[in-house]
Amino acid sequence: MDDPVAPAAGGVASSERRAARAGGVAVRPPVLIACGLGAAALLPLLLGTYPIHVLTVACYYVILASSWNLIAGYTGLFSLAHHAFAGIGAYASALLAVRAGAPVPAAIVCGGLCAGAAGYGLGSVTLRMRALYLALATWAFAESARIVVSMEYGVTRGDLGLAVPLLLPTSSPRPYYELFLVCAAATVAGLALLLRSRIGYRLRAIRDDETVARAAGVDTVRWKRFVFGMSSGIAGLAGALYGHYVGLLSPAAMQFDEMALIIIMVILGGQRTLVGPVIGAVVVEVASEGLRAYGQLRMVVFALLVLAIMRVYPPGLAGLGRALWTRLRHGQPRRRYHRASGPAT
Amino acid sequence: MDATLLTQYALAGLVIGAIYCLMAVGITFIYSVMRMINWAMGEFYMIGGYVQYLLIADWLGPDRWYLALPLAIAGVGALGMVVQRVLLRPMFAGGIERLDEYATIVTISLTVLFRNLAVVIFGPYQFSPRDYAPPVQLGPLPVNGSRFVAFLGAAALLGLFAWVVRRTWFGLAIRSVAQNRVGALCAGIDLSRIDMLAFGIGVALAGAAGALLAPVFLVYPQSGALSTVKGFEIIVIGGLGSLGGSIVGGLLLGLVESLGSVLISPAFRDVYGFGLLVLILALRPTGLWGERAREA
Repeated sequence: MDDPVAPAAGGVASSERRAARAGGVAVRPPVLIACGLGAAALLPLLLGTYPIHVLTVACYYVILASSWNLIAGYTGLFSLAHHAFAGIGAYASALLAVRAGAPVPAAIVCGGLCAGAAGYGLGSVTLRMRALYLALATWAFAESARIVVSMEYGVTRGDLGLAVPLLLPTSSPRPYYELFLVCAAATVAGLALLLRSRIGYRLRAIRDDETVARAAGVDTVRWKRFVFGMSSGIAGLAGALYGHYVGLLSPAAMQFDEMALIIIMVILGGQRTLVGPVIGAVVVEVASEGLRAYGQLRMVVFALLVLAIMRVYPPGLAGLGRALWTRLRHGQPRRRYHRASGPAT
Repeated sequence: MDATLLTQYALAGLVIGAIYCLMAVGITFIYSVMRMINWAMGEFYMIGGYVQYLLIADWLGPDRWYLALPLAIAGVGALGMVVQRVLLRPMFAGGIERLDEYATIVTISLTVLFRNLAVVIFGPYQFSPRDYAPPVQLGPLPVNGSRFVAFLGAAALLGLFAWVVRRTWFGLAIRSVAQNRVGALCAGIDLSRIDMLAFGIGVALAGAAGALLAPVFLVYPQSGALSTVKGFEIIVIGGLGSLGGSIVGGLLLGLVESLGSVLISPAFRDVYGFGLLVLILALRPTGLWGERAREA
């Protein structure tokens, strides 16, 4: 699959030149991103309270989907415990605030650190496992975490739900939306920088072939632990923030359905692209709120879309958008997705 | 705690354990042939339960429950073969980078699809077909008739499965594919046909478990979730890729759960399995009879 980050640096200049030759005005990606962010920041002026809430939740999922894309898409560690780390962060932060009376911002940071530490630990335990065993082990970890949270109702209040103090002294969702937007943008920007750095190349080397990566001098143990800790920490921070936004936690958020939702978002948007998870999370969250009247049929449609994408067009919405954009600007025939030829078995 | 009661609970544990075996054997069978884990196993279990319920409650009537079972199993098997043909076969046609990831994503999407489809079609309600068999007296112990039928059915199906895999040409072909795909291909075995049949049989075992348990447990859209958990626990206990391991693991899990809830506390019923899992992994990291390599 082609990588959006590596060619981006060189690709801009050439596309600009092509655009100039065609007599068009060059639009740089950073300009586009800035415009998009500005528009997103101004949206609350037009929308009511409920749509802003939906967008806030969408930002939360942008963070989760992007950080899962870092570990599963870019590093090739197919973890199925991402939702559990969000839950661990949320519960750690909430318990610190409720039981120990810690100030909420400090509790959120601690929640993120706890989730990061748990992720680092899980990464260390599963270092030798690959592919299916890693998926099974992370899944078992997530299920155990959920069972512990719902069983220890003396501490977490289990299925009764834990009331959590709010982060901001307001009932309006707008400041929360702005906060979540900044966090989501910071996450995506941070991941972009990380993937452009040498570390990003090391992670992708691990994905492509771990043995070769090690032979080329990549300290695979160190970077696999790092990426586990990093993505879990981000998920934990997001979970903690979200907990102090909605004000009520329950183990239901740690069910496997949540992980399936993250996977659906990433695949729908486009795996191994930076914009893919963003598009996927926003589309799925907004569409599922907008089509609430159709009940569970929404999830049926999303699942069918994901199956179709996996089967027919793996680049997802991000790839589709890029192909259409290329065609619109340059009038070139849309480039078909080129399948790498692999061994038959 | 007198001995009769204890035996009764042990027996109940074995009955449920036999059903767990069906799930685990299905998972490990599909894994050993196609080298993938079917995360949607519990959803095929759920579909088996729904088909059984519909057949008994609406189409055949409760008197002909013995006809409903094979029909439900065949229906789930056919659905599995269609799923394999449409979604999973391309994974061996070349062109997909990471087979295990592809299969994981596809089957996880299938769980979402089937679960929500069940809600759309039948609503979030819980169904249960009427008990069709009268209570059975096993020595001094009374046993619920449907549970007894479920146990007998599970044992018969596992016996049939073992006979097919060990004694027939088709079983030989399947075992050779499980050993070495390229080697089997060179010997003239039609891989894609074997894959399709193996997937169908594997999910049909899950469907059979769902159909057999329909009168014992309730049938509802999420009913597959717990049985997936049990199935995975068993294959980790018994060792992935080992059929004997999944049978012993299934019976062991059923026994531990049943005796644990009676001797310790029924509230933690689903935790005992994880306890057993951790214990066995600590003693034998590859499970009881698992493959040596932990790298798939």
